[in-house]
Amino acid sequence: MSSSLTVPRVSTRSVLSTLVVLLASVPLIYVFIHSGQLSLSQWSNLWSARLPGLLFNTLSLAILVAVGSFVLGVSSAWLITRREFIGRRLATWLMILPLTIPTYVFAHIYTSLTEREGWLGLLWAGIFGEDVPNPELYNVFGAAFVLSIAGFSYVFLLVSDALTRSRVDIEEAARLHGLTPRQVFWKVSLPMLRPAIAAGLALVVLHVLSDFGAVSMLRYQTFTLSIYLQMSGRFDLQAAAGLSLVLVALSLTFLILERFFRDRQRYYSAAQAQRTKRRAATKVELTFIWGWLGLITTFAFALPVAWMLVWTWEAWQQSLISEEFWGYVQNSLIISVAAATLATVAALPVALFHARLRNKISQGYLHMASIGFVLPGPVIALGILSFVLSMLPWIYGTMFVLLLAMLIRFLPLAVQAQEASVQQLSPSLEEAGRSLGATPWENLRRIVIPVLRTGLVSAWVLVFIDTLKELPATLLLRPTGFDTLPVRIWVEASEEMLELAAPSALMLMLGTLPVLWFLMRQHDAATK
Amino acid sequence: MKRAIIALFALWMAAFSSQLFAEELIVYSGRSDKFIKPVIKAFTKETGIKVVLHTGSSTALLNKLNLEAERTKADLYISNDAGNLQKGTEFKLFQPMDDKMVKVIPANFRAKDNSWVGLSARARVLVVSTKDKSADFVKSVFDLADPRLKGKLGITHSSNESYIAGVTVYLRANNEKVIKSWLNGMKTNVGSSVFNKHSKIVKAVANGRKSIGLVNHYYIYRHLAKHPDAPIKVVLPDQRKDDMGVAWNVAGVAIVKHSSKKKAAQQLVEFMVSEAGQKLFAEVNQEYPTRPGVPAAEKVPTRASYKVADVPMTDLGEYRSATLDIIEAVGMP
Repeated sequence: MSSSLTVPRVSTRSVLSTLVVLLASVPLIYVFIHSGQLSLSQWSNLWSARLPGLLFNTLSLAILVAVGSFVLGVSSAWLITRREFIGRRLATWLMILPLTIPTYVFAHIYTSLTEREGWLGLLWAGIFGEDVPNPELYNVFGAAFVLSIAGFSYVFLLVSDALTRSRVDIEEAARLHGLTPRQVFWKVSLPMLRPAIAAGLALVVLHVLSDFGAVSMLRYQTFTLSIYLQMSGRFDLQAAAGLSLVLVALSLTFLILERFFRDRQRYYSAAQAQRTKRRAATKVELTFIWGWLGLITTFAFALPVAWMLVWTWEAWQQSLISEEFWGYVQNSLIISVAAATLATVAALPVALFHARLRNKISQGYLHMASIGFVLPGPVIALGILSFVLSMLPWIYGTMFVLLLAMLIRFLPLAVQAQEASVQQLSPSLEEAGRSLGATPWENLRRIVIPVLRTGLVSAWVLVFIDTLKELPATLLLRPTGFDTLPVRIWVEASEEMLELAAPSALMLMLGTLPVLWFLMRQHDAATK
Repeated sequence: MKRAIIALFALWMAAFSSQLFAEELIVYSGRSDKFIKPVIKAFTKETGIKVVLHTGSSTALLNKLNLEAERTKADLYISNDAGNLQKGTEFKLFQPMDDKMVKVIPANFRAKDNSWVGLSARARVLVVSTKDKSADFVKSVFDLADPRLKGKLGITHSSNESYIAGVTVYLRANNEKVIKSWLNGMKTNVGSSVFNKHSKIVKAVANGRKSIGLVNHYYIYRHLAKHPDAPIKVVLPDQRKDDMGVAWNVAGVAIVKHSSKKKAAQQLVEFMVSEAGQKLFAEVNQEYPTRPGVPAAEKVPTRASYKVADVPMTDLGEYRSATLDIIEAVGMP
């Protein structure tokens, strides 16, 4: 592809991308150093006392969430891409709106809804009588429920994307050869979707492994929660690092799987996207479609939002929404805008470096930049903390430390988003610019950036959304008095102040909406 | 869009620089905002000194303080648990206070070197259903391990700071073997279903889902203030002749060793141990003010009316690891 320009040389982008990659690997280095200090007997102690339980807990949760997201994501994607029905556009939206609600908000809302006095608790008592205890969420099923409704949208997005691009001609050929529609689905369509589904599920599992908010609210001990408790409850940084090391290995497996299947997916999708034909839904189908999608939406979006609205109204009535609240909103915006901008800029040299070289080194850089995906927030925060305290003490306690953590945490998102559009930037395009006398800077401004625009924008938006929702690293690293909306939700939720947690949750959702809309519009334009 | 981003950046820089130059006391607070804010507000009103509350879990904040060492921005540390305060003393994170300043608080409620001082105390008591008589035989916390309470007992999860402190007191008043078998018995009684908040235990006993629970006293009085007719009562455990008495724990404050505003920090501590400050603690959370002569809320049994376990508060820090080891060995949920 780029055989003409693979002369390795020290260029600005190689220096810059090396710097970025080094920075990104700080937390991992920290984990290695600290877990290296564990003695053999400490390791065997960890191994026998904690690891089996944690592995079992974490993996069983991951499997349940994968199953849940598969059922929700694939069914909704199939119905929406293969049938024409009233409100189809709306349905697409309803399936991605859950992404605007962070997992810990879902957990908080559902624990209060399922209490005896909560809406669902009352409903339960109304149906089954007062004496039948209502189901509790403080177990693997509760955690799986919360993480599935919070994460199935990733599967939905990837699968519906694959479905719109999939080779309809093959399905038609299968039909012509006498297969029933059901057979076509199981024997042709589903196998072709496998890479998309697998990539989506791997992504969901990665989120499960690094989730901190929901599992800590539901007190379900996974690796991430246990690491956090080791760090903050027992001052045992080495054991925490040891556990992190195991978690890294686990996450890495899923990250590699996800990459693998994503590459396969490219291979499966048609070169010239043939428009998928959507058959008009019959009346019966329509009832079924909206019944099913309505059920999903009720739990994954409508009910939580209704809860937020009711309690925000309550807070409004009691005039609890004070000046301080708007301060939290402002803090959240400041950190998210800054982190999104920084991550987008930092990801650029890495993506460009790979576009230029496309060799093992640049590929390795790409993987190193993805460290944020395999390390949970608390570990990144701790790595940054000890790095800053020992190397850059003068920035300690400022916003930069928090920014640094956000950068490392969400750099993979930015790199991934840019990687796709960088592929369109052929080296000859740049060469042409240079040969016509453009300076490297001019080249960057007039050729590279315009070509990459889509990638840059989606990188910015993705990092913005995730920083807005970020909890564990913010909890540990925020400058004193700098409370963001997630931090406030956390504080108020642990004090059971429903009226106070609700407005913050609502603000977070509203803050994510416009950017999500923007991203979807761009996505639609790309698939058209 | 571009302009908006630039404007936001300017805003950010402004917020950032105002943070650099402001003369404020920074308090790492492990207490609920609603219990500490009224005291802070009264202090600011009296002295004009502004206070920034950095709220989080007591343990996590202490850990932060420890990592930050001399680079910390914190001037004071407030914890809901004596265990954490004593751990901070062990880590040498605090500045011992003048005896004159804190001697109004009994010696049992502060560190030996006055590096921290207790502000308000709470008692670990039983909340018992008045409808259901099945838990009426319970006279001691150790009775909670009785198989008759299977499925009827409510306790919090074992990483709760009040819970750990309670177990430490019982451990100091007994021995490891007793505590282990007690925890094992309770574990069988609760299965894997424990509560994440004390207030939910009180609620569960009130609505009949559980018969008995182990909680801090103020959760019960708080519930009764909202629902005066709730079918629950307070039982003070371990009051028989040879019993150890009720476990107490204090919330307290310490001045951070590397604070750059020690004078203002001292003023805040002085205010908190003053009669006016102490009264606020009794009001906002129905706790026992540690200063003798300042009464607790009316409904709360007076401290002279029952036996309190004779375990120094400093033990809560010194034996915390031992307690955690036992809890983990038993595998308490």
